[in-house]
Amino acid sequence: MPSDTAGSWTPVALSADLPAATVMPAWTSAGSIALWRSQSGRASASSDRCPHRGMRLSHGFVRGEALSCIYHGWSYSPAGGCVRIPAHPDLVPPETIRVAVQTVEELDGVIWVAAGQPAAQPPRLGDLIPLRSLTAEAGIEEIEAVAGAKANADGLISVADYPWVRLLPTPQGDRTLVHVLIEQSRGIEDRVAASRIAEALRRRVEARQKEAA
Amino acid sequence: MMKAGAMIDEWYPVGLFSRLTETGNKTALMGEPIEVARAQDGSARVTSGNGRKLPVRVRYGHVWSSLGNPVKELFAIPEADQPGRRFVDVGVVRVRCSPLRAVENFLDIAHFPFVHTDILGAEPHTEVENYKVEIREDEDEVWATQVKFYQPQAAKSATGGITTEYMYRVPAPTCSVLYKTCPPRPGEWDVITLFVQPLAEDLCDVWPWMALFDDETPMTDLIHFQQMIFLQDRSILENQIPALLPLDPGMEIPTRADLTSVAYRRWLKRHNYTYGAQLVAQ
Amino acid sequence: MKLYDYILSPSCYKIRLMAAILGIKLDIRPVDFHPGAEHREPELLALNPAGSIPILEDGDLVLTESSAILAYLAAGNAPEWLGTGTPEETARVQQWLSFSHRLTANLGGARLHEMLLRPGNIEILQAQGISALRELEASLFEQQLRGMRFLASNRATIADIACFPYVALAPDGGISLDPYPTIRLWLRAIRSIDGFIEMPGIHRLHELKPDPHPAKEER
Repeated sequence: MPSDTAGSWTPVALSADLPAATVMPAWTSAGSIALWRSQSGRASASSDRCPHRGMRLSHGFVRGEALSCIYHGWSYSPAGGCVRIPAHPDLVPPETIRVAVQTVEELDGVIWVAAGQPAAQPPRLGDLIPLRSLTAEAGIEEIEAVAGAKANADGLISVADYPWVRLLPTPQGDRTLVHVLIEQSRGIEDRVAASRIAEALRRRVEARQKEAA
Repeated sequence: MMKAGAMIDEWYPVGLFSRLTETGNKTALMGEPIEVARAQDGSARVTSGNGRKLPVRVRYGHVWSSLGNPVKELFAIPEADQPGRRFVDVGVVRVRCSPLRAVENFLDIAHFPFVHTDILGAEPHTEVENYKVEIREDEDEVWATQVKFYQPQAAKSATGGITTEYMYRVPAPTCSVLYKTCPPRPGEWDVITLFVQPLAEDLCDVWPWMALFDDETPMTDLIHFQQMIFLQDRSILENQIPALLPLDPGMEIPTRADLTSVAYRRWLKRHNYTYGAQLVAQ
Repeated sequence: MKLYDYILSPSCYKIRLMAAILGIKLDIRPVDFHPGAEHREPELLALNPAGSIPILEDGDLVLTESSAILAYLAAGNAPEWLGTGTPEETARVQQWLSFSHRLTANLGGARLHEMLLRPGNIEILQAQGISALRELEASLFEQQLRGMRFLASNRATIADIACFPYVALAPDGGISLDPYPTIRLWLRAIRSIDGFIEMPGIHRLHELKPDPHPAKEER
């Protein structure tokens, strides 16, 4: 995970997996987040917990430029302030009602969320494009061992025998979120193949993890 | 079971009387395994894991028991004795949440338009008007009265949208009784209860029950309506953080619509009813 | 057409959902599955010795098995829901209907255990459920690559209706849907279909209705 002394970037999701006016759960080292995109396309990372009664905001809904909690409909702006409490429609919610938000950078089809204030931007992917994300019940070390290479300075793992595929892993406790990347020029059949290579890799990684346990 | 505190001496639902068997059913109370069965003489019998006989009551269609020594009798619901009432055993649903969170959700109305959409509430009718809340010292119960909410389909017996009036009552730490406008008999209240069996601090079996004035609706329809409402709440209950109900302010922010829940949390804290709760000091 | 139905049954919901989308009026006959176990009583067993619901009665025809009922509703009212008729699509629909039966066993079994206290080996059911969800995620991704948003084609078919409920309700059985972004988009696509109705445990998509009181300022 790209980091410097001031902070780090986590690749939490792929842009294609977050259409406008949707929200999904994601995870950074600072905790769980509700990753959402407003109607106008702006991506935000809000703490995944409504301060009202603790409901996960990732179960909520996006209308216009606000994320609303499914429980009582409390709505939050991208800056994190509560802008509406439906039980009290005429009330301007006090400033103190807010959720923590983290900085989001969307580059090359990947959504990165910052913990702290990283000095540098997230790494660029060059001629690689993201394909899909999957989660492995194993650590990065197992993935590196099976793929046959350690993560490079940009956090990418090469896959033995498939030089046009890369993995971008993110540790999440006991498991690892892996974004599968391929060379931009590859056609549909190669993309299908890359997805299946990733699935096969995960099977081997998890079998290895089980044996070790 | 250090966390049980004062809740050890309370009564809890442990089964439906009508579905008892002689072989018995294994369940639990606050982490302790118990067994609930029908004795040869037809009465209910509850035993703890090590064979100790536990106190038993059969009331409101359910078998009640306790791991401790209840000082009070099981709370009364006088409406249950009114002639003409139909009793509905809704059936158990297990939820991975604190028993106290389950009760608090039952006391809440601001979620109706979002969670029970087009049944108990609908946008834009989201406003919660002021209502009255008190802790009645004599009975030592939490009561909310003059609660009103506009509902598209308030009950199986309702034929259209009405403004429903409610009263809420908490007579025991994991039980709540709700009284609501009864469409077939204006002036009377339909009684809907939530009896919650604490299995662990973050796991409970919920036993809803009703005493209604409704001679028209088939029993299965009544059961299904209530199961539908509860199932809509279940996915909320399993996704609240923290799992344990915070009894101290700070973690969660109530508004005027939440007066009943604020009183409930204060009442729980006052009584040291902390199984399923968390305090700031912890 | 009479449907023997349980409000909390995802298999019965498949039929209610298909009927709602197709605009077919069903005469619902509620069955006290829980706590009454009515599906195992003589009246229902006479109709369906398997002791399962849903059961559809249409005149003299009695159908059991949700996949068969879905096929019947589509064939008689909107055959495009069976696929466009190419051998590939027909086969894919069948493949996913078979898959949906596995979901009833694993995701459904986990849900019955966790929620309604039915017997089962929960670890095995959850592990099988996760395997099934991963298969679904991978297949939906490949469909997406080929320009198709649904399981068997670019439009929804009974295969999607058959698989949708147990997948959407996987969390009821303690199986999280968080790790499956493609499944999430597919669930959303189905929930956005004209005429879609929910079942308890599946929330309404409130974002599909505009905000009745838009917020006045950003903070």
